[in-house]
Amino acid sequence: MNLTRRTTLQSLAAAALAPALGGQAFAQGATFRIGALNPVTGAGSPYGSGMQKMILAAAEMVNAAGGAGGRKFEVFAEDTQTTPQAAVLAAKKLIEVNKVQAVVGTWSSGISLAVIPLTNDANIFLMNTSGAPALSVPPANAKGLSYRFQATNDRFGRAFAELCEKEGFKRPATMAFNNASGIGNTEGFKKAWEKKGGKVVANVVYEPNQTSYRAELQKVLAEKPDVIVTGSYLGDTTIILREWFQTGETTKWVIPAWAANPQLVKAIGNEAAEGLFAVDSISNEGSPAFSAYDAAYQKAMNQPGLSNVYAAMTWDMVVTLALAMEAAGPNADIAAINKKIREVANPDGAKVSTFAEGKEALKKGKINYEGASSVLDFDEFGDVTPDFSVSRVEKGEIKRKYLVKI
Amino acid sequence: MEAYLVAIAIVAAIYVLLALGLNLQYGLTGIINFGHVGFFCVGAYTAALLAEKGWPPLLSFSAAAALAMLAAWPMGLISLKLREDYFAIVSLGFSEVVRLVVTSEKWLTSGVQGITGIPKLFGGLATGLPNSLAVLAVLVAVNLLAIAAMRRIVTSPFGRTIEAIRDNEEAVKALGKDPAAFKIQVLMLGAALAGVAGAFYAHYIGYISPDQFIPLVTFQIWMAIIMGGVGRISGALAGTFILMLFLEGSRFLRDIMPFISEVEMASVRLGVVGLALVLFTLYRPTGLMGDFTRK
Repeated sequence: MNLTRRTTLQSLAAAALAPALGGQAFAQGATFRIGALNPVTGAGSPYGSGMQKMILAAAEMVNAAGGAGGRKFEVFAEDTQTTPQAAVLAAKKLIEVNKVQAVVGTWSSGISLAVIPLTNDANIFLMNTSGAPALSVPPANAKGLSYRFQATNDRFGRAFAELCEKEGFKRPATMAFNNASGIGNTEGFKKAWEKKGGKVVANVVYEPNQTSYRAELQKVLAEKPDVIVTGSYLGDTTIILREWFQTGETTKWVIPAWAANPQLVKAIGNEAAEGLFAVDSISNEGSPAFSAYDAAYQKAMNQPGLSNVYAAMTWDMVVTLALAMEAAGPNADIAAINKKIREVANPDGAKVSTFAEGKEALKKGKINYEGASSVLDFDEFGDVTPDFSVSRVEKGEIKRKYLVKI
Repeated sequence: MEAYLVAIAIVAAIYVLLALGLNLQYGLTGIINFGHVGFFCVGAYTAALLAEKGWPPLLSFSAAAALAMLAAWPMGLISLKLREDYFAIVSLGFSEVVRLVVTSEKWLTSGVQGITGIPKLFGGLATGLPNSLAVLAVLVAVNLLAIAAMRRIVTSPFGRTIEAIRDNEEAVKALGKDPAAFKIQVLMLGAALAGVAGAFYAHYIGYISPDQFIPLVTFQIWMAIIMGGVGRISGALAGTFILMLFLEGSRFLRDIMPFISEVEMASVRLGVVGLALVLFTLYRPTGLMGDFTRK
């Protein structure tokens, strides 16, 4: 035998590569690829990286529990840059190059609406955290492969109306940040409130990124409302409330919780914040699923899990998908898995809160995954209707008062 | 993989159309247009709204170009009074005004909700690759047409005049030429190209909303022509190619180097584009395809 240096090297290289190639072939047979498509940069950047890390963490958890339906998750992460064009290209890459079978964690309606035709064409899942009503119905959700883990803006509006009725307000006015989400909230409120026979005394929509909102505020206060309902974000709410406090008016405020959070109270001071109502779709705090998510979030981001409701949703996306795959059995195709999603998430089954628990319980019968972000029951449109919590600021503390069901 | 490459090629071709228009305005005539995205926006909304009404693409695309041109008319009048930096500021304001109008006129544009479900071009073909290839083919044809027109312009008396306006407007006046008419024509031509690009964009993405037409788009085109070489048609092509390489290529960098997280990658991407711009202005101010014979 003639052993030259070259042949030795070649055979060594071949020996080194063989397991790698074999491993890849094996992996392709037993993996389920998911694409984490999140707003890491741009307007969604406060949430995006947390969302992405929770997809990775949840996938790891599922894999550690032996995979779903015999398959392990492989995650490919991309950034939408919170712009539809970048999101479309990223989704194309995930679908065409990485061959993912589910795109999870799109944020903001513009992105989800732009990506959904692609996932429909490829017959794969889209799991989003967007509020726009258009996402529920055809043409967007013609194939029933899209699931929304966030309450629609419309539902938020209905929760606001319930709260105003319960608190006995008579003359509500609205202020909305001029985007689909902000206006969705206040329009939803207006619709629900007028259905109850009430009248909204003023509707003001304001442009983002102003240094002062005094003019808009004057316009609203001129109608002497007893409560102002907002569809707003943290930055603008801070300015508006500061300027409102300077006027000395005693109007009450109802604000979505992504704006009315501890940072807001800190920014405007306890006195100005006293009595604000904050409405939130309930992250299923206190539930075992939430503590599992919370622990993972703290580990990955070094912040409490409550600070990012969307990350809780992406966590739930992966777990729900994994449970549906487990229920559908080994090598199930997308259609078979899709049939199981409502079955594992909706009522009439043993309540479970982690993947491992659900996997065990599935051997015995039906399950109902109660998620970290909400109890996760999907209606026929693939939307969730979470319960809402009403909190009130008292001496600088945001205290939860009661629940609103819509 | 093919479909992804075709998708990138489509977006790149749309960008080339924008870059060609800007190149005509800045590269050849010296008009600093910071509001290019405004015309892009006008074109996209025109095409989308007319498609909703059932107009055939040929008509709606022409209308998109015509309306974008019309929007450039007042801009052209302004450009007569203002030069260079001042015009830059006004044009930036113009594109923001367009965006705000689109945001506010809800009856027409459905405001911030955007227009959804814009039909794809060649809807008759199977969705996916055949469809995208057809779109790409048309885009390439339109680009070739635009390039041919540009070449024609450059070698024509009109081209020599606008280059003279860029180099010394006073001298052109002294020779008895009126720069005003030329500038208006150039602005309108560039706007028409941007309008057509917008129409393609609307039909390809299928969903448009005001927040897609932010000044960032303008500046990406600027980056492309600065890197590629101002005043050269090949520069517009090369610059767009480099830009897409940076924006899209960095996605694959991460598949090779998984230790860079997506968050870091986003910063690296911006950083690299910024660094490239600085290096270009330092060491190759004429751009990759820059004209060495001149200046």
